[in-house]
Amino acid sequence: MTMNRHEPFEELISASLTDDLSAVERQRLDTHLDSCAECRATLAAFADQRRIMSGLRHVGPPRDLGARVRGGIERGRFATLPWWRRPAVIFTGVGGGLAAVAGALLAIVLLNAPAEEAPVGAATPSPTPVVSAEPTALATVSAPVFTQPPEPPATLPPVLTPPPSVAPGASVPPSTAAPTPPTIEPTAAPEASPEPDIYLAYTGPIESPTMAVLEEPGASPVAEVEPPSGPPVAAELSPDGQWLAYITQVGQRGTSEVRATRIAEAPTPNEPGASPALASEIAVGETVVLGESLAGSPFLERMAWSPDARYLAFTLADPETAEADAWLFEPANDPEPRALTDVGDAYAASWVAAKDGSPLLWISAAGDRPASHLHAISTQTSADAEPIDPTKDAIATAGGVFQPLLSPNGAFAIYWDGRMEQQEDEAWTFVQGGAPYLAAHDVTEGTYEFSAERLLFSDLDIGQDAFAAAAIAWGGDGDAYAVWDSRWTGRPQSFDDEATYPDQARVYFGHATDPRGLTRIHAIDAGDLRDQATVVDVKVSPTGRHLVITALRPLDGTLSEPMADLLLVTRNTGDVPDEVQVLASGDDGWFGPAAFAIEALVEAD
Amino acid sequence: MCAEDEVRSMAMPGSIPWDNAAMSRSSADTDEAAFARLFEEFSAPIYNYVLRMVADADRAADITQDTFIKAYRKLHTVTEANSTRSWLYRIATNTAIDDMRRRRMVSPMGDDAAAYENRPDQRPGPEAQVMASTLDERVQRALMTLRPNHRQCLLLSDLDDMSAQQIGEVMGLTYAAVRTLLCRARGDMRRALAAEGFAR
Repeated sequence: MTMNRHEPFEELISASLTDDLSAVERQRLDTHLDSCAECRATLAAFADQRRIMSGLRHVGPPRDLGARVRGGIERGRFATLPWWRRPAVIFTGVGGGLAAVAGALLAIVLLNAPAEEAPVGAATPSPTPVVSAEPTALATVSAPVFTQPPEPPATLPPVLTPPPSVAPGASVPPSTAAPTPPTIEPTAAPEASPEPDIYLAYTGPIESPTMAVLEEPGASPVAEVEPPSGPPVAAELSPDGQWLAYITQVGQRGTSEVRATRIAEAPTPNEPGASPALASEIAVGETVVLGESLAGSPFLERMAWSPDARYLAFTLADPETAEADAWLFEPANDPEPRALTDVGDAYAASWVAAKDGSPLLWISAAGDRPASHLHAISTQTSADAEPIDPTKDAIATAGGVFQPLLSPNGAFAIYWDGRMEQQEDEAWTFVQGGAPYLAAHDVTEGTYEFSAERLLFSDLDIGQDAFAAAAIAWGGDGDAYAVWDSRWTGRPQSFDDEATYPDQARVYFGHATDPRGLTRIHAIDAGDLRDQATVVDVKVSPTGRHLVITALRPLDGTLSEPMADLLLVTRNTGDVPDEVQVLASGDDGWFGPAAFAIEALVEAD
Repeated sequence: MCAEDEVRSMAMPGSIPWDNAAMSRSSADTDEAAFARLFEEFSAPIYNYVLRMVADADRAADITQDTFIKAYRKLHTVTEANSTRSWLYRIATNTAIDDMRRRRMVSPMGDDAAAYENRPDQRPGPEAQVMASTLDERVQRALMTLRPNHRQCLLLSDLDDMSAQQIGEVMGLTYAAVRTLLCRARGDMRRALAAEGFAR
């Protein structure tokens, strides 16, 4: 690029308008202007421009701005936050009565077909793989047989990112094929039920809510929980069924609270050589508040129980500084949680069983280029534990991998890659090229490599337009997964005028062994949820074809209690609508999230 | 009061739309008063700055609201060495950028600058614009064609009468970088105004 002879003077002209010139510069400019008509015209134009700008109409701020700021400070609520960081919206607002439930928008179709019967014809476009085997798929991830639909093309998009590097380890060849899980021998497993083991019920008046853990409607609560100041948005049941960890909104402060309630006694080992039960000094029914965190990021609402039920890993982001660190709760050893890291950018991801059976934890470091680090966990109490730097002394490190979510058998991983940034007072999020990837994850050889990765959404072009974040959950079958709250930052990539895609309001339901990846046709039916309902949480049943969805009803602008339905969705395909069963109606309060006690399907030998 | 006065030197506010009873926390009366004064002095200029940035009154109100909530939370970080005005505008600028990023209004930078340059022009023809618009609307439309960072520095300079040094404090740029950026912004704005039918 060549600079014209006037350009240096244009900068001086510009600076002269605000008296940002030194005496020398002023003299130089004046001398030049005497002899340059073009620069005199520039000076006149810039001066006019400044005059026009300074004369712009002054607009008074809204009269209620002061009240809004005051209210926001009192409630810790920001105006431009997305809904999930706006608990106040649930409680406040103006006008309207309770939403009429007459003519309910929710299409509830109760069909009697048993879950085992997959009602899909081979020629019908199938957003869901048809499992020909009995869906007692707790035991196997290698058995599913899929019908091949005519659309979309079965070709997978090319791998768009370099394979994550795993140290130590050899380079991983890129592949466009679906990740192939290790062969896993079937083991005896109980027949999977589509209904959740438990769910939370947050009911009662705003001033004095109650919360309970229920197994089914009408039954006595499994536990009465000390009521939090806001409804629950995430829940995970420990594999041994003793503990329910959950995240609740904290009143109207834009933060959340991580809690754990002991809901059952330690199970009695019933087999010789079984691991000793994990007893705790915390009594059944007691709740431990594990910490307060910034709310609103799916990456922060991830809680992971170790396969042996000993540890809960979670992430807390300081509400003041937004610094995020991984935390650990080991109820059998210490009633207090402890900070696992103290680096400000660490997120707990997933557990994996080492070859000796001991739990290892993937911890992710957010950043311009995120990475994940695998660590062994030592049994220590909060009093004597020193936080670690996850980038040091890791068993394995995977560059370009953020918060890998491992399937229960550890064979698959869904992780994130892209460029991350942290905005002021907010959690880390992806700002460029952010997308989830599906990869194979080696547990059988103990290399813990991620390989054969491909974009999870196979029909999206990831570029400047990409994801900021999304929530993801695996099913207990180790194959099915769900994606919701997908925060696409670009223009929708709908292939037609039918619907926005990706759509933050929809749930996408896929299977790791489906060679098509996840596409727009994998969105569950729009009619499964009420119009304008918000998906709070999704759990995938161990059957691999059912979803349990906590759906917040549309806000009606009243001071009424929040209402969330707990729905069991049986995914159908083609022209067959999904079946939706209301497990608990939001007419009576907020129901969900639900939880399954997911056991590790395979332990490395 | 001089714009550069410090928060902690501010006196109690007069009649502002602020419920001191609701705001007051016994241990923080001084901060409450300082913040109330901050709000009184800067809420209108911040709102106007943001309004010109995003060209949407509702969003501008939301962003201004968030700016002051963040300012309240960070009030304890203000020291005698801080320029309160620059500090507040920096929060407002970052909050606006964050909002625009969410809405994908921020121009792609770096490798995508070319794509930004080639973005489709969706404005009506110049005649229709001139006939249909007030001067204010035409200037606003010209502003919205600028890159966000050009728009920011131009507004800070010409709407809020900040020096290059002060703009640098707001935008996190050096004095020299601000002068260069401002010159480019003025050049772009000159062309944008010409497209809107302004003479020069």
